[in-house]
Amino acid sequence: MSEEYKIPEGLYYTEQHEWAKKLKNGKVVVGVTDYAQKQLHEIVYVELPEVEREAEQTRAIGAVESVKAVSDMNAPVSGTVVEVNEDLLDSPELINEDPYGEGWIAKIDPSDLEGDVIRLMDAEAYRKFVAEQAH
Amino acid sequence: MDLIKTHLYAYHAEHGNIVDFGGYALPVWFDGIIPEHNAVRNGVGIFDTSHMGRAMAEGPDTERFLNHVITNDLSRLGLNEGLYTVMCEPDGGIIDDLILYKQQQGKFFIVYNAATKHKDFAWLTKNSKGYKVKLKDLSDEMAMIAVQGPDAEKTVKKICKEDLSKVARFNIALVTLSGLKGMVTRTGYTGEDGFELYVPDCPVSKPDKALKVWGDLLKAGAVPCGLGARDSLRLEAGLNLSGQDIDEKTNPLEANLRWVVKFKKEGGFIGREALIKARDEGVRKTQVGIALDRGIPRHGYEVVDGGKTIGVVTSGGMAPTLGYGIALGYVPPRYSELGTPVKIRIRNRLFEGKIVKSHPFYDETVYGWKREKK
Repeated sequence: MSEEYKIPEGLYYTEQHEWAKKLKNGKVVVGVTDYAQKQLHEIVYVELPEVEREAEQTRAIGAVESVKAVSDMNAPVSGTVVEVNEDLLDSPELINEDPYGEGWIAKIDPSDLEGDVIRLMDAEAYRKFVAEQAH
Repeated sequence: MDLIKTHLYAYHAEHGNIVDFGGYALPVWFDGIIPEHNAVRNGVGIFDTSHMGRAMAEGPDTERFLNHVITNDLSRLGLNEGLYTVMCEPDGGIIDDLILYKQQQGKFFIVYNAATKHKDFAWLTKNSKGYKVKLKDLSDEMAMIAVQGPDAEKTVKKICKEDLSKVARFNIALVTLSGLKGMVTRTGYTGEDGFELYVPDCPVSKPDKALKVWGDLLKAGAVPCGLGARDSLRLEAGLNLSGQDIDEKTNPLEANLRWVVKFKKEGGFIGREALIKARDEGVRKTQVGIALDRGIPRHGYEVVDGGKTIGVVTSGGMAPTLGYGIALGYVPPRYSELGTPVKIRIRNRLFEGKIVKSHPFYDETVYGWKREKK
């Protein structure tokens, strides 16, 4: 079933279906995966984290809501939130349309990226994880 | 545990996104909640509501018996007219809300909720002792489809020979649907004009008739809708969900259902004394509508004022027609005036809201069955 979900190479993934991508400037951009947005369907509201707040890996920093359901947005890595995607306030559906691009949620200045990524999955591992979830 | 299938399961399995809805395998959406919601507000949508409870009560004492069990007054009904009501426990708590239709003198068709249907039928049966009345549960041998939206009449007309314009709101009529014997009532759970269609002699094990009617409605242009849109539509209309907005711990006076309680009707009714006491003492909580500027209220969230929890959200969600979050909930009566500011606690943060008109939440000149015709 995992062929149905886009899982780009080069990103890190969590078991709660968030993704993280290292940027050239050392910051990490985060969002929810294609699998997550397809499970939620029709996203109508995003609660963005506050800029400058501390993020702790696996802890909620915001939320993504569809008509029927609420899903926490957990921080894939620890650090400080330095930027949020304010376009999502008016257009939460960007997460449905482009979860790894225009639907990004926040940028984090990581405090221990090397330590954190050990606990994250690469694309191949996440692909297997999603395939198991689908059963 | 295996989920219970309705008559239209074959269609849902192929086209719908099926979930466990109180033990039933029903679609939460086909295409999406928002497009389905909008189809009903602006055109026409159809829903499988075969999971609901349906019963027939027949016999010389039927009217007297039913009138004793419900809070509203059946004696006001003419032939083929229906009545919305609740039935209560002796302590005034709501067992369920239901609609009764007077098909003949001494013959009533009854429709009630899915989650409560076994409890309801048992309650009716238990209280019918001593009355000359026969109760028959028709839920499994009769399919039920709701056709809802401003284009509902046009759409049902295409599969029905009879003149539907003569079927007034909350009335029932025997009709021919897709060439089959059936019934319609001009009712629904969306706030819009519409019909509920009943296909009798159609057991779940042999659902061909129901699938034929459903298929013909699709050909007539109706959009198939799931339970997600059913919930968002009924919430915008301010209609209670039994078991969630109203239950045994709530009486009809608290639930803004004073209008279905007829204290003066002949013969009394179950719960009357408790409700008189509640009326005279005044209620401690009352149902209100709440709108938020930002954030989506959900079932179970706290309503807060001045740092104190004053009430609870019983139903909430994003209103697709309005574009903001709305809720039904209970607060002390002193907060019930329209415009009163209240807050809702969402993930431990407080969101500003206010008390608004909730029955319905939308502007009735623009949406719903009373809307000004285009």
